[in-house]
Parts: sequence; structure tokens; C-alpha cells
Amino acid sequence: MSVSVPGTAAAPSQDQARGLGGPAARAWRALGQLPASLTAGAIIVLLVLGMAVGAGWLAPYPYDMMHYGDIQSPPSRQFVLGTDQYGRDVLSRILVGSRISLCYGLGSTALSLLLGVPLGLWAGYKGGRTDEALMRGLDVFMSIPPLLLGLLVLAMTEPALWKTVAAIGIVSAPSAARIVRSVTLSLKNEEFVQAALARGEGDRYVVFDEILANVWPSIIVEAGLRVTFGILLGAALSFLGLGAQPPSSDWGLMISEARPFLTVAPWAALYPGVAMFVTVMGFNLLGDGLRDVLDPRLRHRPVR
Amino acid sequence: MSDRPFDAQPVLRIDGLTTVFATPSGLVRAVDGVSFDIPPGTAVGLVGESGSGKSTVALSVLRLLGPGGRIAGGRIQFRGQDLLAKAPDELQKLRGNRLATVFQDPLTTLTPSLTIGEQIAETVIAHRGGARRAAWDRAVELLGLVGVPDAPSRARQYPHHLSGGMRQRVSIAIALSCEPDLVILDEPTTALDVTVQAQILELLDRLRRERRLSMLFISHDLGVIARVCDAVCVLYGGRVIEQSPVDALFRGPLHPYAKGLLACVPGVNGRTKRRLPQIPGRVPDLVDPPPGCIFEPRCPFAEARCREPQPLRIAGDGRRVACWRFDTLAGVEWPASSSPPVTEQTPPEAGSAALSTVGLSKDFPLTGFWASMRLVRAGTALPRLRWESRRLRAVDDVSLSLAPGETLGLVGESGCGKSTFSRMVVGLITPTRGEIRMNGRRVDPTLRDERRRFRRDVQIVFQDPESSLNPRKRVGEILARPVVLYGLARGRQVAERVAELLHAVGLPAGYAARYAYQLSGGEKQRVGIARALAAEPRFVVCDEPVSSLDVSVRASILNLLGDLQRQLGLAYLFIAHDLAVVRQISDRVAVMYRGRVCEQGTVDEIFAPPHHPYTWALLSAVPVPDPQARMRPRPGLAGSVTSRRPDQVGCVFEDRCPVKIGAVCEESTPPHLNVSPTHWIACHHPVSVLETLDPARPMARDAKPATTMTRSDA
Repeated sequence: MSVSVPGTAAAPSQDQARGLGGPAARAWRALGQLPASLTAGAIIVLLVLGMAVGAGWLAPYPYDMMHYGDIQSPPSRQFVLGTDQYGRDVLSRILVGSRISLCYGLGSTALSLLLGVPLGLWAGYKGGRTDEALMRGLDVFMSIPPLLLGLLVLAMTEPALWKTVAAIGIVSAPSAARIVRSVTLSLKNEEFVQAALARGEGDRYVVFDEILANVWPSIIVEAGLRVTFGILLGAALSFLGLGAQPPSSDWGLMISEARPFLTVAPWAALYPGVAMFVTVMGFNLLGDGLRDVLDPRLRHRPVR
Repeated sequence: MSDRPFDAQPVLRIDGLTTVFATPSGLVRAVDGVSFDIPPGTAVGLVGESGSGKSTVALSVLRLLGPGGRIAGGRIQFRGQDLLAKAPDELQKLRGNRLATVFQDPLTTLTPSLTIGEQIAETVIAHRGGARRAAWDRAVELLGLVGVPDAPSRARQYPHHLSGGMRQRVSIAIALSCEPDLVILDEPTTALDVTVQAQILELLDRLRRERRLSMLFISHDLGVIARVCDAVCVLYGGRVIEQSPVDALFRGPLHPYAKGLLACVPGVNGRTKRRLPQIPGRVPDLVDPPPGCIFEPRCPFAEARCREPQPLRIAGDGRRVACWRFDTLAGVEWPASSSPPVTEQTPPEAGSAALSTVGLSKDFPLTGFWASMRLVRAGTALPRLRWESRRLRAVDDVSLSLAPGETLGLVGESGCGKSTFSRMVVGLITPTRGEIRMNGRRVDPTLRDERRRFRRDVQIVFQDPESSLNPRKRVGEILARPVVLYGLARGRQVAERVAELLHAVGLPAGYAARYAYQLSGGEKQRVGIARALAAEPRFVVCDEPVSSLDVSVRASILNLLGDLQRQLGLAYLFIAHDLAVVRQISDRVAVMYRGRVCEQGTVDEIFAPPHHPYTWALLSAVPVPDPQARMRPRPGLAGSVTSRRPDQVGCVFEDRCPVKIGAVCEESTPPHLNVSPTHWIACHHPVSVLETLDPARPMARDAKPATTMTRSDA
């Protein structure tokens, strides 16, 4: 709903009296007030995203190019992070592999939210028997270990990237639904929602206009953690040979392939591991920082 | 103040205390140069509105300031020892031992996983050592001291077994466990019902007299301070603006702010339906406070010299005041609030439209879906699944009516069904039985159009301004929604209407661009009222609209509601637990207890005898801002509100009634005694007995019921 409101542009004079300054100064100050975890997380995530997008230009060699003369050569000026048992450049493979890892993380998160958020909103808003039925149904899903379901799906059918993503997404949907449901339940009792119901607003308005906007902060924080979960689970499935297939350069697959040669060429397993660690940490920090910033009640807690 | 010599070493001496908090917008001087003494055996009250720094003083003394808080200057001496020089472990030995505290919320101060006896014994052992057995005996003794009945068996109960008042007694018992030199009480009765508050204040007053307890009593409620304290410090913007023996302050406040604060409290004895005096403006910004008198920007008596710093001046009789004009202003009253130019509307002719409820009842299940499932065996047939839940009756057969332009006050303690009733009226809760009528015709909730028209006509204003506005929406969007929903304006007119609504509730049009967090509590409540007005209703249900607001803000909101009623001819169903507020705004009053209306009449009839025993108890329990009033004996009302099963019969007040007759009260529903055409009381006593129930001349609880008295008179 958009309503043009008079006086929107004019900054309240009281704020100016408090010395908030111009918009640029305010923005700069706001940036300085952000939690360190958010800044650090955002930088790491942006770097990883940059790696994934720019892998084609950044990678010094094609990811599947074998240098027969330099098999398992240690990090050097020519191969910055060394080469693996087929003489493939580890750096190039990590760069290209970031695409697959992000695909696991972001794809599965998107899917789990797509399934979980509407279910959680519905269950929390309707309450009563609808809630009971939906939640017990989701409990059944939650009782399946995610890795096991992934294994089941991929062992029965031809392994493919999208199937891995879908398996992870479906398994994590119940926990997203639970979080959304609990936030919805408490929001439903807030007086502004009661006010909307007393006005006779339809369910759709109450859920999407009044409740959803206040559920978002929790969803985003949850999503930050979901992404890391997806990346790790995807890597685990690839490690077990059920995710990305050779010669793809998935991080889990890289570690799996380099594992027999851990004593000879540790770099081939170590660096994909480091990449995964940094990425996971970045998303975790981002989610953590977003929680602090997005909750308006935390941010504007009155000072006595 | 006290008859003890002033040279006796004070228990607590605070000298120039300054406490600051680091915030993103700068350093907040929450407490700024506060000084006062607490002589032994006296109770000193700290009174002020939220943000005045009264709790920060207490936390500074306890050295329990949260993150960002720091004592920037001054000295705190406790029995001659410098508290600020103490190491954390030395402080830990003092706190709870020599320096005890009782906080506001007894629900969160007690551990849910330990019995109350264990919690008291633990404090004793931690500070005094000794055997568990002895500590337990001490716990039982203390519970008896604070008036917990049947202490030995109560000591074995967990906090959730106890009512709020009982829990607060336990907190006081813990505070007293080591015979402290000073007890700090931070709003100890704010979370309690008025009858329970009266019990706790009675207890504190007794402890103070009998045990010469020194107390630092923090409250926003002047009536409570008048009841318990010997001396009082009035705080404003982190500074002490007046310091005085309690009698002198209530007889004649010296500082303009103290005058204003006392003036804007509605009384249970005052005139009704008048505009309350109010304090204009907002609390000062403590990041950059005004250089002179902190109250100068809001003071109606301010002059140029007020912009110079104002030290506390000695005003005689042990009084100090931070105002250079106090003697010229002595006897000058706070100005009455000027009415805005009201275009007096002709009141709608009687009977044109009325909202009424007929036998409205609501039962709530106490057990959930799974817990209510039962296997029922009937003879030889297969067992069948049944759902049987235990129920409580929240609202029982309530019939009220609201004529256009009038205010019906609905008063009662928490848990008596007021809110459930209001939510049924606006259609948020479906009644179990009974119906809602508009103009005598039943509103059928299944008819879409009818329901829609009804909802537009009947709007609601909520209690908690923090929760009643969506934090993600601008004020403009919030106000525009009902306008658009009910099709009252479209296009550019919507924004005009929003500006009009803001103007009606006394807010600048620029506020349309703000979010809720950018508003103060009173401003949020104004937006809440504007949202109700946006639908252009005829009836507004006000569910405790001022109970979470500060005293001075409360007055301005009550005035606003009164003004709007006169301008727009609105009718209010005004729900409150505060009798003074109800008296201030209502034409008629209904008193509710445990889901039933037990007395109804015009405001004058309700506040004068004859009373229903419950109304009488409520009226007697209200703390009055008059220290003389505390000398009067009061009809203590034991216990607290309990829930009621649907199959219970008899009078709802039977379990706590101080003038209960006997079995008849438990076994039959009391008749409606018609005192006048507009006034009835549901009681088994005859009116002649109820006439004798006068809060000004109350009798002790143990005294014989008035029946005998009147009969011998007759």
C-alpha cells in the first residue's frame, strides 16, 4: 500500500536540533554503528560472491586442465595453491568450485524458505487444529536425518546437482517453518494485529501486510545460518560421491579426491577446506550481524 | 520528617551522584548531581516519571548498572563506608545482606525451580552461614512475618503456586532475611492489583513502624509514596527538584513541576468530567540538557533567570527546592488547562443508536487438544473418543448498554474479564453465549455487510502503545489503512484525511512520515486513538488506554479523549482498573468481578454509598496522595482474584467478601437491588446495610458484619 504523505521529504526539525547532520553524514555514522560481525560477514560474503561470478576471469587456468608435468606440485609462483594428483591447478578449481558451493547453499535455502515460510505463517496464524496438523506433519520430516534423505534420493536415482539442492532444501524446510510459526504466533497477539482483525481485515492483508514484514528479520537471520548448512551438507554429499560428479570442481569433491594423497600433497585438500571454512564463517557472521541490525526493538531500545 | 536528631549518621548518604549511559546519540546524564540522606528508621521516597532517573539512582547504589552505564561523579556512603571504593566481592557481601532490594516484578525475581522456602534459606545461608535446618526455620519465620498464611506448608511450594501478591511478600521476606540496614524497593507494587497493592503497602508500613526499617522507596505513584514514606525526593530529568517531608509536599508543593505532577492526578474524590491540568511538552533530552532549570522549557512560570543553573535552595522545615522563585510562587497553583475551541455538537438524540450486549458469556478451555481427549466406554459398545476440556468462565452473563455520546466505565482488577468482554464487543473473540445488539437489533456475524458496518461503527483503542503500532509501518500508512479499507476517501484525499486525523489528536502533520519507534509513549497512544477515529466510528472501546502511561501524559490523553467526545459525539466503553481515571471520564460505571457485573450506576452513585462490598473494598484500597489518609484504618481485602468454573453458582465475590453473610452467598446468585432507576447492586445484603459501607469510615476486616449494627440501630 502506498500513500503519498505530506511532509515526507521535510526532515523533522527536532532531529536536526539533535545534530544528526545531512544524509551523507548520517549514512556514514550509521555505517560506523553497524556491528563488526555484520561488516566482516558482508565483506567475506561479497568476496565469495565475487569469486563465483568472476571465476572465469580470475582463474589462471581452466579448472579441468591437467598439467602432466606438474602433478601434485606444491604451491609456487606458477601454481599459487599447488596442483592435485592430475596436475590441475587448485586455485582455479577452488574459484570455479565456489559456484557449486554457493549453489548448494543459496539454492537449498531459497527452496526451504519457499516451502517453510508459507507453512509457518499459515500454521501460526490459523492456530488450533490446523497448526497442530501441520506441525505434526513437519515433525515427521524433521525426524529424517538430512544426510540420510540426501543419500536415499541420490542413491536411488542418477546423482545431479539439482537433486542435491532439492533434497537439502526439503529437509531444512520444517525448521524454517517452525521459526516462522513461532514468530507468527507471538505477533498474532500483538495489539497491532488485533487492531487489524478488529477492523475486519482479510486474512491475506493481516498475514502479508501486518505479520510478514515483522517476520522477515527472523527469516533473514535464519537464512544466513541455513546457507552454511546447505554448503556443508552439499560438500558432505559430494565427498561421499553423491553430489557433484568428476571432473566438476566441487569443494567437497576436491577434498574427497585429494584425501588419499593427504600426506603427499596436503594443499590439494587443505585449501578447499579453508575456502569452505571462510565462506561458512562469512555467512554465519552476516546472519549474526543482521539479527542485531534488523530487529528494530533491539536497535532502538530506549535508554534510561 | 522524623523525631530523630539529624546529626545521627544516615544509613545512606548520596552526595552529588552523577550517572551516565553511553548511547549511539551521545552520553546520557541519567542522574545528574543527586544528593540526599536516609536517616535510620526512615522511609525516603523517590518519585518521578519514566526517564527521571529514579531507578538509575537505585542501581547506582547497588552498583548494578547495565552495560554502558557508569558513575561519573559523586559519592555514595552506606553506614559511613564509601560504596564506590568497594571491590565487587565486597559489594556482593553487602547486597542482599545489609543492603536488600525488592524489585517490581515478583514473577521474574524468584527462581521457578526452587521452593520459596529454599530461596529464602539460601539467602540466609549465603550471608549468615549455619545449618540448613536453622535456615529453613528462619525462612518459615520470615514468611509468617510478611503475612503469608500457613507458612510451614507454603514454604514447600514453588513460586508458580502463589499469586502475585504472595510472591511479592516472598520477595520482601528474602530482602528481610538478614536484617538489612536498608531496603531498596523499586516500584514494588506497580505490577499488582489495587487491593493486593493495599495489602503490600499495609505490610511495608507495619514493618517500617515495628522494625524501624530504613527504606528507599521508588515509585511513579504519588499516592503510594504518601502512604509509606516519611520524606520524598521529586526527580525530574535526573535531578532532584524538590526534597521535602512527605506531609509538607502534599500540603503545598514548592517546585512548579511538583505542583504540576500533583495537579494532573485525577482523584477518587475530585470533580468529574472536567479537563485535568496537564504538563505540556516532552521530557528533556538528557544528552544535551538545558543549561538552566531542567524544567524551564515546560514551566508555565518560567522567566529569563530560569535559564541560569538552579541549585537546591533551603526552603525551611527541612525542605529544599531547585527553583529561585519558590517563595513568590508559594500558594500559586498549577494553571488549569485551557480548553481548545470546541465546536459544541448537538448531542445525538437519545435512542438514535445504542450498542448493547445481552447475556454475553465466554468460557475458555483450560486444557488443550490432546489433554482433553478421553476414551468413553458406554456399556458394551466400543469405547469412543470424546473431547472434554475443563473450562473457566471469563465473562458471565454481562448485559450492558452504551448510548451515543456517553462514557460507560468498566472497572475491575486484572483477571476479572474486562478485556475478554471488550474483545467480544469488537468481534475479536466469539462469545460462548449471548448476543451483541446495535439499536436493539442483533448483529449477525455471519452477514458480511452487517459485520463490516458494525466494525466500522465500533473501534478499539488498546492498552500498550508499544505493541499497538506495527513497527514496520509509518504513521501515515497506519492511519491511511482504515480510511482506504472502509472507502472513506481515495486518492489525494487520503493524505489530507491523515493530516486531519493527526491534527485531531494534537500531532503535527509531519509525524505521518515517522515510524513508531520515533514516537514517545504518549504520542504512540495518540496515533492509536487517531487510527480508531480514522474509521469515523460512533463507539470506541478504550481498553486501559492510559494505564501504561506516565502521570502527566495520562492527563493529556484523558483530556484528548474528553475533547474528542465533545467534538465528535463519540461514545466510549472505557475499561480501566484505576478508579480515579474511571471517575474522571465516565458518565456511568459498571464494576466487574470474576466475569460478572456486581454493581452499575451513574458515576456519582458508584462513588457514594450504598456500595457493593467489592466496590467498597476497591475504593478503600486506592492509595490517595494525602499522607493524612494513611492514618485511617482500612478494610483489608485478603487474597486475590481467582478464576471461576462455569458450574459455580452463588455470588462471585463470596470468597473474598469482608461482609459475607454465609451459605446463602455461596449457594444462590444474588438479586439485583434497585437503588435507583439507574443504580443496581447484586448482593444478598439489603440496601440499608450497604449504605453503611463507606470508604471514608471503613471497618476492620474482623469486625462483625454491618448487619448487626444497622439492626440494633433500627
